[in-house]
Amino acid sequence: METFTNPKSLFHLLLLPCLLLYSSIAYNSSPVESAMHTNNWAVLVCTSRFWFNYRHMANTLSLYRTVKRLGIPDERIILMLADDMACNTRNKYPAQVFNNENHRLNLYGDNVEVDYRGYEVTVENFLRVLTGRHETAVPRSKRLLSDEGSHILLYMTGHGGDEFLKFQDSEELQSHDLADAVKQMKEKHRFKELLIMVDTCQAATLFNQLQSPGVLAIGSSMKGENSYSHHLDSDVGVSVVDRFTYYTLAFFERLNIYDNASLSSLFSSYNPSLLMSTAYYRKDLYKRRLEEVPVTNFFGSVMETIHTDAAYKALSRRNSGRFEDEMSLDQSVHHIERRMLIKVNDGDEIHDINPEGEEGACKCPWSTFRNKFQKAENVDSLVNYGLVAMIPLLVISTWLVQ
Amino acid sequence: MAETKEKSLSDEKPKPRVRPIVRLGIFFISHSFLVSVVCCTAGVLALFLLPVLAKNTYISENALMPGSASPMLSNQHVSDGNRLVKDLTNPNSKSSETGIESHKIIAQYMLDLGAEVSFHKFHPQMNQFHPLHFFSSPDSGKIQENYSCSSYGINTVGIIRAPRGDGKEAIVLVTPYNALKSGFGEALSLGIAYSVFSLLTQVTWLAKDIIWLVADSQYGEYAAVAAWLREYQTPKFSSLSTPNAEMCPDVNNLFELKGHSISGSKFSNSFRRAGTMAAALVLKVRDQNEQFEDTISIYAEASNGQMPNLDLINVVNYLAVHRQGLRVNVEKLWSLLNSSWLKTLGEIFESLAKVAKILYPKWKFGITATEYVEGTATLASSLYYQALGVPTGPHGAFRDYQVDAITLEISPKFSLDKVWRNDILLRGGRLIEGVIRSVNNLLEKFHQSFFLYLLTSPSKFVSVGVYMIAFALLIAPLPMVAASLYVAANSSSNCSKGDSSTPSAITDTDENCIAIRSWRWLNSAKLVFIVHLWGAIVSLLPYFISQIPDCSPTTSFMIWVLLSILSLLTLNSVLASPLACAKATQEKEWALVKSVTISSVFIGLGLMSVINFATAEIGALLMVPMCLLARPLKLDVRAGTLRSFCRMICNLVLGHIAFPPAAFFLLKGMLDGFGNANVGDFWMWVESLWAWNSATYLFIGMVQLPCWVLCVSILFHTC
Repeated sequence: METFTNPKSLFHLLLLPCLLLYSSIAYNSSPVESAMHTNNWAVLVCTSRFWFNYRHMANTLSLYRTVKRLGIPDERIILMLADDMACNTRNKYPAQVFNNENHRLNLYGDNVEVDYRGYEVTVENFLRVLTGRHETAVPRSKRLLSDEGSHILLYMTGHGGDEFLKFQDSEELQSHDLADAVKQMKEKHRFKELLIMVDTCQAATLFNQLQSPGVLAIGSSMKGENSYSHHLDSDVGVSVVDRFTYYTLAFFERLNIYDNASLSSLFSSYNPSLLMSTAYYRKDLYKRRLEEVPVTNFFGSVMETIHTDAAYKALSRRNSGRFEDEMSLDQSVHHIERRMLIKVNDGDEIHDINPEGEEGACKCPWSTFRNKFQKAENVDSLVNYGLVAMIPLLVISTWLVQ
Repeated sequence: MAETKEKSLSDEKPKPRVRPIVRLGIFFISHSFLVSVVCCTAGVLALFLLPVLAKNTYISENALMPGSASPMLSNQHVSDGNRLVKDLTNPNSKSSETGIESHKIIAQYMLDLGAEVSFHKFHPQMNQFHPLHFFSSPDSGKIQENYSCSSYGINTVGIIRAPRGDGKEAIVLVTPYNALKSGFGEALSLGIAYSVFSLLTQVTWLAKDIIWLVADSQYGEYAAVAAWLREYQTPKFSSLSTPNAEMCPDVNNLFELKGHSISGSKFSNSFRRAGTMAAALVLKVRDQNEQFEDTISIYAEASNGQMPNLDLINVVNYLAVHRQGLRVNVEKLWSLLNSSWLKTLGEIFESLAKVAKILYPKWKFGITATEYVEGTATLASSLYYQALGVPTGPHGAFRDYQVDAITLEISPKFSLDKVWRNDILLRGGRLIEGVIRSVNNLLEKFHQSFFLYLLTSPSKFVSVGVYMIAFALLIAPLPMVAASLYVAANSSSNCSKGDSSTPSAITDTDENCIAIRSWRWLNSAKLVFIVHLWGAIVSLLPYFISQIPDCSPTTSFMIWVLLSILSLLTLNSVLASPLACAKATQEKEWALVKSVTISSVFIGLGLMSVINFATAEIGALLMVPMCLLARPLKLDVRAGTLRSFCRMICNLVLGHIAFPPAAFFLLKGMLDGFGNANVGDFWMWVESLWAWNSATYLFIGMVQLPCWVLCVSILFHTC
């Protein structure tokens, strides 16, 4: 009876199952996919200033508009801009920025939240944003508050060269700096997957030093190549958009938040003869197959959704994590999930999902458990489940004996 | 000195450790004749190769973006400009004697556009020779005591403030205009400027203020612009007692009338300013023209061979050729275009380039013979105007304040119908608009492109890195020859002494002798110094001669020559008599004099190349052969060989050519023909040089003339 009243021993007893639980999770999760994709962030950087670099700001603002349209909220976008175009005295259209000579779309319309403006766009601030090493006074809105479940889009445009990117004509970001910052981010569990998109001359060289897993990088040009502007707006008197960004935007203009285009379709959409440079992507650090990753995983805020039969009956965090692992292994299930999303939001495509409809409809925790049970590859997890299930029995029996 | 020491050391010791650079120097000095022949030939050849080596111009500054914006000047603005031209050429406007009516019309037009308008009245400052004003910054305009109310000019100034600009910078547009006897061309230039001005009052993209200066050119275009600039940059705070133009009734009248007609407008009596000037364009339209197409001539040379940034010329050239379809001209020496020897040279270069291309297809430096001749003519004129150091237009006044400026002279193919006039107004206006918009895009001063260059065509240039080679090759032999002469003079006298004295006495007198000998060059240095001192005196003399009233150029020149000779003789008798060979032992005296002369010429040319490269280059072409060849005629006569005879002839010819007045008349004769050459011309030319504070004048007076005198004294050396 003494032990029963002794809180310490009770504590020890309770600790045991927790440890066991933890070990079972750790055992199950691979190092890359430690967490589920839970949120999306975008860091959009325009590294140049001055009137003749109008197009860089237009590039960044266009991408800002696109990611917002595809569902990343403003508070999860860090926008770094010199921001000296809209109100530049040389601007024929005050307080407006265009990325096309047809002037149909004013990028500087409403709701442009610039986080780092003018001379705040420095290499130091950029690295601080990535690594999260801010001074205490920096407000939350200027911080990249990502976690291990974040997909981050890092877009940079400006003037670059072999393994460097110029910041506002005064400093440079080197490929080593970028690689180091990304490594720190990885160490600090600040992202799950990171897509770096760079539109500068010799952009590919900027990725040379990257070595952190989960990073996918695409640049507008190879080493020794220039990235060119797309066209000149003879009314405003400057080039308004770069080729790489122009064709990226052209790709995204066809998409909406529910579309299913994969990253590989984006990457293969770049035509070297139109770009006048060779778009280069580095995927050796990236584990997933590009054909299976929808672009909205980075450019939008579309995540894996777990369908449940009813509200408040969602799986525990642990199980959902496992569920997600499962799906990434088994693409058919993954596709079902995606289509489910479409079904929920878009009634027109209902015929598409019919063949798999019944399977999707009868999903419940027990059925998944049964499915797993049937599969040979999940013996390990079954054993773990068994162990965990035994813990309460053990506790109860010990207590009863005393 | 160092080399000679090394040499004597190497004679004594069997295996001295001599550094390679010293050995190289000794080698060059001992073969100075060969080196000088090779270097001088290479230098002249490099000069003639410059048109081949010229590079195409390119816009170096990213911010300029010329022609990226489509022109906004429409027919509406052109008709506005046309209206002004009509009003100005209307005979009624010329009724007033002082031409005030035209100024009023212009001011009224500017006011109607909403620009700030002010009149700037000035008294033309006569250009005078101020001995100490070379290289000094322009002074803030000392007020002259004796001027009358009848002689003043009125500049009309209109300023457009950039609507969203910070007002820190400005672009200046200048149109010289003589209200008393204006031709149609001047009125047309005003029309072009007005049409641009009326456009610029409406646009939203101005980042810099626009100043339109209608410079009253009745006392010269340069004087008016310079007076306005002086007032703009260095405001004078004169006391009230000094007489100024406001006291003159005529001017008061002008202002009263203005105040009456437009009260509460943007007219102001005080001097108006905008920000620092980013660039200035002087616009002129030539009255008569025999060209077949619309041409635009660019004048860029400012005082002392300073040039505006090459980007400004590039922008104008690009817009004129690729946007407005105008032909662009830069000055050429027309007489060179027809010279057959240049054509032959061009053909030689062309065939050489072809051979080179066959040998190695990547070599592409070939230009055709006609291109070569044109390039050489342009290069020669570029060199000539830079060497002269006199600005080729009102833009020169801006360069004195480090503002990049050029003069654009439009010479249209004339016909008097309205369509043609509208066309030239539209194209000229769009060109000016394009240049202004391009400069408006600038974030900093012009700094990216070259300041030191020679043009070989409007779109080709030779940069400082290339043309310096020719000059460097030309003057490279000077120090070597000087050193070798010094060494030779010392060693030979040593030999002669050794022969004359008894062998036992050598050791006694040797040290003494060396001590004396090593200081003997001081004697020559004294002579050279005296002659240079004389040169300074000669260059100061015109200041006093110009004080003599009512003196014709010819008499002034004669007085100058007489005074110069007198001063030379006086100096010679007072300070020393080294021109004659005093001692028989110093038979090599002339070699030392030549050595020191060459050194001083080397220093002089080197200094001048920093101040005005073109002057130094032309001076080197004249002086280097003369200095290197100079040798007493007596020696050559005594030798009697063919070689010495040739050298004698060369010496005599060079001795004539290198005399500054002779060189001037030769050049003038080559350019304009020898028919109307007058002795007074040289005086007038020199007068213009000092009036424009040209460093070329100082160079002629203090480097070339002394060098010539010294060389002549060597030629007639009696030894």
